Formats: sequence, structure tokens, C-alpha cells
Amino acid sequence: MNPIDIGSVLGRRADVRFRVIDTEGVVVRQSAGEVLVLNDIGTRILALADGVTPVTHWIDTLLGEFEVARPVLERDVLAFAVELVEQGLLEPLPASRRLQDGHAAGGPGDWG
Amino acid sequence: MSFGARFLRHPERFPERQRGDAWGDRELRLDLPGGPYQLLGLSASQEDGVLATFPAAGAVPGGAFAAGAMGATGDPPVPIQLLRCTPDEFLPVDVRGWDYGLDFDWSPAAVKMAGLGLFGRLDWRPGGVGMGGLAGALWIHEDGGERFPGVFENFLRVLVAYRLLELGGAVLHSAGVVRDGAAFLFLGRSGAGKTTAARLSLARGAEVLSDDLNALVIGAKGGAGGCVVLKLPFTGDLGERRALRPPLPLGGLLRLAQDSADALAPLSRAETLACLLACAPFVNVDPHRRERLEQVLLALAAAAAPRAYTLRFSLSGGFWSIIDRITLS
Repeated sequence: MNPIDIGSVLGRRADVRFRVIDTEGVVVRQSAGEVLVLNDIGTRILALADGVTPVTHWIDTLLGEFEVARPVLERDVLAFAVELVEQGLLEPLPASRRLQDGHAAGGPGDWG
Repeated sequence: MSFGARFLRHPERFPERQRGDAWGDRELRLDLPGGPYQLLGLSASQEDGVLATFPAAGAVPGGAFAAGAMGATGDPPVPIQLLRCTPDEFLPVDVRGWDYGLDFDWSPAAVKMAGLGLFGRLDWRPGGVGMGGLAGALWIHEDGGERFPGVFENFLRVLVAYRLLELGGAVLHSAGVVRDGAAFLFLGRSGAGKTTAARLSLARGAEVLSDDLNALVIGAKGGAGGCVVLKLPFTGDLGERRALRPPLPLGGLLRLAQDSADALAPLSRAETLACLLACAPFVNVDPHRRERLEQVLLALAAAAAPRAYTLRFSLSGGFWSIIDRITLS
């Protein structure tokens, strides 16, 4: 069973930093010395992973930004979220732990 | 595993300051990027070992890294003390099939390291000796001999990486190749093809600076928005350690990807930054210097981005004709 659903709250791991340069996101997972570049949509999703809002709110936000049917967006965003969790960039947070210390909540533009 | 536990019998006794017994009374100045570096407390054998391996002061009149490069003439030297320890302070390590890496412990004012036959520390002392107060201490049990230069180099690589970062530059995992007076850096981690690309370049008449580590800095003048490449004496299979070279304008940053055909595609600024971050050894895993590193690499990426590419290369060596076509246009 997939542990990530639209009700999940995801936050960036404490060792993950990212910033936006032009339209792309540079993501650093420092503990592993890994660096990734995300396209504009990937960057937007990572920025939405603030450790507070559930995935369904991301989808609401993105529906206002992209012309795409909700079921398609929901499927793609969930798949991407799972991938980011598997890569160690995001982690699921229980509702009671939302936005505690150690979970980055910065927006794009600065290293967060 | 806690810091030092792979190498040290008593990591809990790691020295908290740069104190100990010197090996001897010899001193030596190393003229390397970020330097000069002043070695203190060497024995005669250690001095011979360093002189045989690294370029030392006086080898080039006026210094190899004068105007426009890191470590301008007149900077106070960065001191490095060589201190005694004993072989029984180290654990036996089976290195067969092992990918060697130093252990680090970072704090805002110091970096501790431990490895095969060495432990050391870098300390930043406000107002202390050396610009920025950086000073190094290396504890070793080798009084010269065959293994000494390699052990010393492992420490020196780290020190130079931190020193250049302090000065706004970066040591990069790369093969540096000189062609038509400009330096091209082939970037990639182990296995990416740096040495292969360097060999293919050598076969085409290019000069290899190092196939392992080179330094990139913003120079007073230079190509690609002012970036210059500094030769380091840290080589793998190719490159002459003791040969000195003045700073070279950057011809191109080439992120390596092995392929069956040759092709060149521009890197965005974000991709350039990501590549530099991934290829900045030692400092890119230090949690206390990441702001500084990102600030420095952002500046380098912005300056170098117009000449930054992904190079898909084959073993034909034909990639230089593509590079020449684009970079010389």
C-alpha cells in the first residue's frame, strides 16, 4: 500500500536545501553529498512541501497555475511526491509534528 | 560510527588544540593556490619528502600565484604544524576493496579529520596568524619515507580546499586540460571519465594540469567572465605535481557523460551550480560552511555559465573538434 496520499503532510528533510535559479531548482542533500536539478514543476512542488499543508492543498494550488485536469494532476503530483520521499528529499510528517524544528519551510529563492 | 572510530584507537583522546611535539626544526614554504603555506616542525626526511613531491617557494621567481590569483603575494602564510604521534594510536585497517575517505568532525571554528596514518585539525582563530586565522596541525607517525608524501597530501588537499573557499574559490574534482592557452575542466566524480578524457586530450596534444583536482576562482582577469583555473599538485594518474603554472583563463566547464557519440549541450546556471556543488570535495559535506560554499559557487556558476556544457564523449577522442567549434566561435 502506498503510504503517501493526498492527505499526507510532507516536509523537506533537515539536510535538504534548495533554491531557485532562473526557473530551475537546485536541490542539495548534504548528508549524502548529492545535488539534483529540478524543472520548474518539480521546483514548485518542492517549494509547496512546507511541512504544514497536505498534498491536496498543493494540488489545489497547482490547479490554479497549470491547465490540467485534477485527476491527472493528482496522479502526477503523488507519483512525484513518492519519488522525492524515496530519494530522501521529503519525509512524511504526522499531523502532530507539523512544522517542528528541523523541517525546512523556506520558500523558493533562498536556500531553504 | 562516531568520528575517528574507523582509524583511531582512542578517538576520545583526539587533541582539542594544535599542540604536541614537533618532528624537527625544519621549515618550508609551499607556494600553492591559497598560500603561501608555511610548514613548521619538519624533520630532515620529511622536508626531503615534501620537496620531492610539491612545488616549494623559490621554484618560480616572484611566486607562481601572483597578481589575480588566490593567495596574493604578501599574504601572511597559512601555518601547518607537523606533530608526532605513534603507530599504536591507529587501528589496523584492512583496505582491500575499500574506497578510502577521511573521517571528519565539523564545528564553526574547527574541522577535525582522521585517516590512515594521520589525524589533523584546521582551526580558525580570530585575529590569529594567517589571513582569516586559518592554521593547520597534522599528527603523523611517519618520519619521511615512502608513505609520508601521500599521507601529507591527504591532509593538504583538505586544507587547500578550505583555504580557497575562504578566499572565494573552489577545489573541484576535475581533469584540467590546457588547449590554446585556456584551461578546460572536465567535471565529474570518480568513474565519470575524467582520466579518460584527459588521456584522450593528451593524445591530441593538450597539456594535462591534473586529472583529479583543480581550482577555479574569480581572477582579476581571465576568460568566461573572469574565471581562472589554478593548477594544484593533487593528481591521479596524469599531471605533473611539481610543475608550476600561472593562472589560466577558463576555456570551458565540461560536465562529463560517457556515451557512444560526442555531443555538447549548454548547462543552465542551475545545472552549473549543481555540478560545482557535487564536485567540491570536503567542503560540500561541511554543515557549517554551506552558506559560504553556496555563495562562492553561485558566483562561480554565474561567471562560468556561458561556457558550461555537458560533454557526451566517446572513446574516439573526437570531442575536441566539437568543443573547439563552440568555444572558439
